[in-house]
Amino acid sequence: MQIDSTAVDTLTKAYSEVWAGQESVEEMNAIVAFMYSNDLIYVVLGVTLIIWSVLLFFMIRVDKKVASLEEKLNSEEP
Amino acid sequence: MAVWLTLVIGGGFLIYIPEIPILEQTARNIFFHVPMWMAMFAMFATSCTYSIRYLNSPNPQFDIKAESAARVGMIFGLCGLLTGSLWARFTWGTWWTFAEPKMNLAALAMMIYVAYFVLRSAFDDEDKRAKIAAVYNIFAVTTIPFLLYVVPRQLTSLHPGADGNPAFSEITAAELRFILYPAMLGFIALAFWVYDIMHRYQTVRYHINPEQDS
Repeated sequence: MQIDSTAVDTLTKAYSEVWAGQESVEEMNAIVAFMYSNDLIYVVLGVTLIIWSVLLFFMIRVDKKVASLEEKLNSEEP
Repeated sequence: MAVWLTLVIGGGFLIYIPEIPILEQTARNIFFHVPMWMAMFAMFATSCTYSIRYLNSPNPQFDIKAESAARVGMIFGLCGLLTGSLWARFTWGTWWTFAEPKMNLAALAMMIYVAYFVLRSAFDDEDKRAKIAAVYNIFAVTTIPFLLYVVPRQLTSLHPGADGNPAFSEITAAELRFILYPAMLGFIALAFWVYDIMHRYQTVRYHINPEQDS
């Protein structure tokens, strides 16, 4: 009986020793470690900041639209 | 409303919460992530109501209100998706996973509403646009409870509320509810305020230039 013991992990051999994602993980480490610190409280901060920035972005856009409307009105009536 | 929501956000950070492994302090995210979806549901329900009213009596004001509410609902849905993604990264270990039905179905629900705006932009004729958009909107809103409540409950998931469990049951600690319910109320009120500004703007623009859809 022949046991095929060579057919393991051909992918790593075929490409390289280093996985593509590995480098970015190393890079991210400082930020990720910061997020994990203090029982993950900074994740909560991140979540609130996301909500704040999306709403702020939306309101600024509405503000600009209103401004352009005002401009149009002013230019129509001298 | 502003004072209420300020107190809620402050309280969300300050109150004592029970220790839950893995979640730890991110359990506080429930005060921000979950109300986003509740605000979205409120907006889509409002939008649907105005679409039905438009079909009953074709008043352009109803169409404007339906469109504005859908738009604000989308904004809150986007907040919900982004906050959920960040939360998932640090508790489930990934930004996005296709093993998680609620996450993907929520994204699908967003897509259905994106199609609503694409559909609107496809018509130049104002009455036609309003009528077809209203019909589509009523279809879109009926998918929401199925995508976000019925189907995720039938499948295994990392989310609370899967596998036949209701999301808010004895597994939600009582302490969390003191802030969670006021937070839902606060964010829904915020959504209605933004919607109010939005549809007033759209109405003014309609009176100045009725041809153009946003």
